[in-house]
Amino acid sequence: MLYLYLPLLSPAILLIAAAIASRTPGQRPGNVPRMTEWAALAAFAVAALSALLLIIFGKGTSGLIGVGGVGLSVRLDAVSATMLVLVSFIGWIVLRYSATYMDGEQRQGAFTGWMSATLATVLLLVVSGNVIQLALAWMVTSLLLHQLLLFYPNRTTARRAARKKAVIARMSEAALIGAVILLIAAYGTTDIATILSAATPGLMTVAAALLIALAAVLASAQFPAHGWLTEVMEAPTPVSALLHAGVINAGGFLLIRFADVMLAAPAAMALLVMLGGFTALFGGLVMLTQPATKTSLAWSTIAQMAFMVMQCGLALFPLALLHIVAHSLYKAHAFLSAGEAVRNIVAIRRPGPVAVPSARNVLQAFGISIIIYAMVGAVFGFDGKSAQAIALGVILIFGVAYLLAQGFADTAPGALTRRTVIYATVTSVSYFVLQIAAQYVTAGTLPATPAPGALEWTLMILALISFGAVAVAQATFPLWATHPAAAGLRVHLSNGLYMNAVFDKLLGGWSYKNTA
Amino acid sequence: MYMKHETYPAALLELVNEANSAAKAIPPLFPLTSSVAVNPFLGQSGESLAVTAARLARVSGARITPERSYWRAKFAAGDIIEDDLVAALDAIDSQFDRPSLADITAALESDGHIPAKLPNVADLAAEVSGIDWPALIEDRIGVWAASHFDEGQALWQPNRTGGAFTAWREFAQRDLTPEIHGLSGFGAFVAGTNRSHWRAIGRASEAMGLEQEAAATAFHGWLSSLGGWAQYARYLLWQAELNGGTDNAVTELLAIRMVFEEALYTRYADQIGNRWAEIVAQHAMPVTPTRDLVIDAVLQEAAERAQQRWLSDTVAASAPRDHAARPAVQAAFCIDVRSEVFRRALETQNEGIETIGFAGFFGLASAHKAAGSDVTELRGPVLLQPAITSVADEPTEADLDRRYAARAKRAWGRFKLAAVSSFAFVEATGPVYAAKLLHDTMAMDHAAKIDPTPKLDPSVDLDGRIAAAKTILTAMSLTGNFARLVMLAGHGAHVTNNPHESALQCGACGGYAGDVNARLLAQLLNEPAVRKGLAEHGIDIPGDTLFVPALHNTTTDEVTLYEQDLPMGTSRAEVEQLRKWLAAAGEIARRERAVRLPRAKSDADMLRRARDWSELRAEWGLAGCRAFVAAPRGRTEGSELAGKSFLHSYDWREDPGFGVLELIMTAPVVVASWISLQYYGSAVTPDHFGGGNKLLHNVAGGIGVLEGNGGSLRPGLPWQSVHDGEALQHDPLRLTVVIEAPREAMTDILDRHPGVRELFDNRWLHLIAMDDEGKLAWRYRGDLRWEPFAAAHAANRAIAAE
Repeated sequence: MLYLYLPLLSPAILLIAAAIASRTPGQRPGNVPRMTEWAALAAFAVAALSALLLIIFGKGTSGLIGVGGVGLSVRLDAVSATMLVLVSFIGWIVLRYSATYMDGEQRQGAFTGWMSATLATVLLLVVSGNVIQLALAWMVTSLLLHQLLLFYPNRTTARRAARKKAVIARMSEAALIGAVILLIAAYGTTDIATILSAATPGLMTVAAALLIALAAVLASAQFPAHGWLTEVMEAPTPVSALLHAGVINAGGFLLIRFADVMLAAPAAMALLVMLGGFTALFGGLVMLTQPATKTSLAWSTIAQMAFMVMQCGLALFPLALLHIVAHSLYKAHAFLSAGEAVRNIVAIRRPGPVAVPSARNVLQAFGISIIIYAMVGAVFGFDGKSAQAIALGVILIFGVAYLLAQGFADTAPGALTRRTVIYATVTSVSYFVLQIAAQYVTAGTLPATPAPGALEWTLMILALISFGAVAVAQATFPLWATHPAAAGLRVHLSNGLYMNAVFDKLLGGWSYKNTA
Repeated sequence: MYMKHETYPAALLELVNEANSAAKAIPPLFPLTSSVAVNPFLGQSGESLAVTAARLARVSGARITPERSYWRAKFAAGDIIEDDLVAALDAIDSQFDRPSLADITAALESDGHIPAKLPNVADLAAEVSGIDWPALIEDRIGVWAASHFDEGQALWQPNRTGGAFTAWREFAQRDLTPEIHGLSGFGAFVAGTNRSHWRAIGRASEAMGLEQEAAATAFHGWLSSLGGWAQYARYLLWQAELNGGTDNAVTELLAIRMVFEEALYTRYADQIGNRWAEIVAQHAMPVTPTRDLVIDAVLQEAAERAQQRWLSDTVAASAPRDHAARPAVQAAFCIDVRSEVFRRALETQNEGIETIGFAGFFGLASAHKAAGSDVTELRGPVLLQPAITSVADEPTEADLDRRYAARAKRAWGRFKLAAVSSFAFVEATGPVYAAKLLHDTMAMDHAAKIDPTPKLDPSVDLDGRIAAAKTILTAMSLTGNFARLVMLAGHGAHVTNNPHESALQCGACGGYAGDVNARLLAQLLNEPAVRKGLAEHGIDIPGDTLFVPALHNTTTDEVTLYEQDLPMGTSRAEVEQLRKWLAAAGEIARRERAVRLPRAKSDADMLRRARDWSELRAEWGLAGCRAFVAAPRGRTEGSELAGKSFLHSYDWREDPGFGVLELIMTAPVVVASWISLQYYGSAVTPDHFGGGNKLLHNVAGGIGVLEGNGGSLRPGLPWQSVHDGEALQHDPLRLTVVIEAPREAMTDILDRHPGVRELFDNRWLHLIAMDDEGKLAWRYRGDLRWEPFAAAHAANRAIAAE
């Protein structure tokens, strides 16, 4: 099955581009930036073609280029193809952007090389057919990213952030290596597909699942290891775009890739739900207080990754994959267009004050959004949906209710109410359609969500209560935000509950070097 | 000032005065929504370059003249010659120990030494503790200030009642970060400070042994360490004073910074007490420039003399065109240096085209509300209070539609960002962003929509309208021989994804495009009743003359004509002809500008830059500006001024009382000096007065940018706006103002406007008088004295011959 090797061409093209770029590391390296842009487009085309061949010929694992289970092999299925297409698309956008954006920089050639090499290793990671390749790609990606984060090596703040990131990355790598060793020991193979099909509960599998979970949450900047992500705006914007839309997904990808292994360890899954759920709310709340655009986006990524981790913990792997795709596209755009913030903020003020919904309006909004959800659900069908998926749908309702509450405020004109109802309906329909699509695409590749047990029910109810409480607090926000206790909470939240400060203190991040 | 200080002890009152003066030493930073260029040396314009250099070195360690190597290269290339050095030396303020020519040429070979900043308590504490206190303080104040001054980024806004100091005390009492990093008990320390920021300043000064003599530069130093935050607070003071009020934000920030100092001093006094006492003693010494700083000032002056030689030669080579008896088109543009290229290109299209230069707000400073907007945009020079108010005129229904759409979009934006709904947003709409990414990466941005015709609201009575029209036409030196078409072109820049967009707009229009002002004036001058009134005042506008409002897009050199504003039934054929000329001129202008821009190989490249979200150098803005000429256009016609000169049309023979001259010297000249010095500061002192690296910009609160994670707001222009990666695109030269007018008239105006005079006396601006033959003839020496322009050259030759 030769077509299974095709995906390797994507990283290969980018690695060649990186090698060429490294020969002219300096300023204005001729046509290197444009050449790299075209290379990324070619890599994307190969990815798209691979996906097409997957649809035609079906999934599979290529033979191993190497010996003794060590070497390159490709696992081509819905998960890897989705990631391959996603990351190569974003890679193309980002490299195209960089070609102009980085013009005039002293080290533009080197930057271009590091970017395409990083992109190549992420692609190698997502198509990995064996765990050795996966672990190596995982490590090299973070080493290459380190180069990009230190694009301005003289910036103290850049070094501080990169150092924190490096510590977290090493811990994450250690966990992953441990997991890989355990998996090889337990299943006697490095082949991922074989491991997945053979995965059964057992001590070594559970331990491996816990380590995978640990590696994933560290890589996804989950509490309390989130601080570095909020500080890496010290690298040029395209690096942020690639990081937040490409590299940060590695953790989520790992969980989804090893879904069958994870399912064998309900304890690991429960931990993911708790940590993900907490970080999602934490990140979301901190984001509300952030006055700088890119910093706010970074907190948003922490929260979104957390939500995705929670989905993984609830065994909703197709939805987690959908979340990765949706979030990456959104976040890449948000970073690359972050320069529009001034325009956007003045646009907020133009049409006059925001209509403040009363408690009654908020209640009304929650009611209507449940009706919308029920109606859309009735059309698309609830049957076949797991309890976990329905619980997640309820969290969506909380979100839609916030949108509606703004339109339902007593001072809001009818035209605004109508528009928000339309938006809410379109959002709900789109949510259902995308979920169905994600389920459809990954059917047969990702394990079905098992029926929830007592632990899962408890966690779901806990999640619903906490998300519900935050949603209500958010919708009624203007009614309580001026309370002194809220002001105090705001100070602590805006500082991210000081986790980052403690981490800095431990690493001596603010030590003074006498340069005189 | 409305403060109640009567109960303050005399020592505190002295400190209050010093703090208020220190606040005035800081230049204002206008928010990026409507940023205008600001002279970074605004607080030092009463001092010469050398003294300012000494002062800023003491408070911040900044170097405010180019590195010697920069001049060395210019000298080696023959751009600066020895004559220039001799002349500059001759012009130097005689209060200093005058270096010799040999000293200067020797100094060119060295790098010169800038005195180090006097360290503050945090600097000293860092040295003895090994903890980077200055950076931590900058970070802590930055975190608080970004939220405090946020104009709408965060959905959860902090409490601001009681002003900056109160809000900060609320924050700092709770913030645990300083404690985590080793300043234990800081929260309680803050709680123990006086609620009055003046008292807090007083207590900190007393604790640190700081008295009035040492306060001026010590206060200035602390404010400088706050970077853009202090400057933004200074902007709040500026606006308040313009409205007849006052604002304490700057001194409150000073108090905040001093509370940190006091806390650190209390903690480390035994280790740093003696050194600090020495530093306080040094602060009490007068500010005197070192020999190196005097030499740097001479080199700066020499470079400016060199460029004046170039200007003199260029202007001398001008060749006035033949003019038709009645021009076909008179095209009025803003004096902005970017107009010069376009005007020159347009003039080549037809003999019948005359161009006029005038401040781009066209004399109508308006507080304007755009369509569907409650936000008041001050579209006029920031030195003035807008005299009129205007709105975009459209039917109520259309206005409401616009508002509802904007409000729904805003609700959607909040849905996108709020704590729980953001997850729903991503899952339901994330994939749409694939299309958005494609759209933006292909630069498929649409052209900006044109706002409805603006109207005065409330209207001005007919007499008022006639009076305004008369004043403006007189100021434009346009009182007779009207063409059939008079185009009034404001200018704006169409750029994408650029937080510093407003820095490319019209400075005379408060950082907005000049469309509204041009449209308002055209409307006024097309009104039959106004024309009738003007005729009674001796200004006869022929019945067939039509005023056409326009907008010159400086990024693409395309011109939009607002035909929808024209009275019904006006002839369109001529407008069509004008449109063709403008299109052809645009192409010529783009070709000329492309030479200076990186990656501009084709005409399409030039047009694409405006829409490209990854383009950091869409246009050069006013980079390179170095001269201001107020004279009839004939004096500069045919001169290749390279898009680096402000051209103001002015004929003193038509200005019997020199009222127009006074206006020019006190308004457009001052605005131009702010622009020139902003470019100067951003190019020469990028760390203190520049906007930093665009690659790292992080917009804070919608008002300014941070570089990277946090710290201080960055004032001024980004590095990419003055530098192409290889070389500066703005030669850091102070502006040369050339005016064709009798010297006595100018001397008289300077005498009556001390604020303007000090700019010229201290050489923040050069003034040269043009004679009746259009030659640069007289140089203003300062102290209301003039010398022949070429005298310096002659004198040099005499010295050289000795």
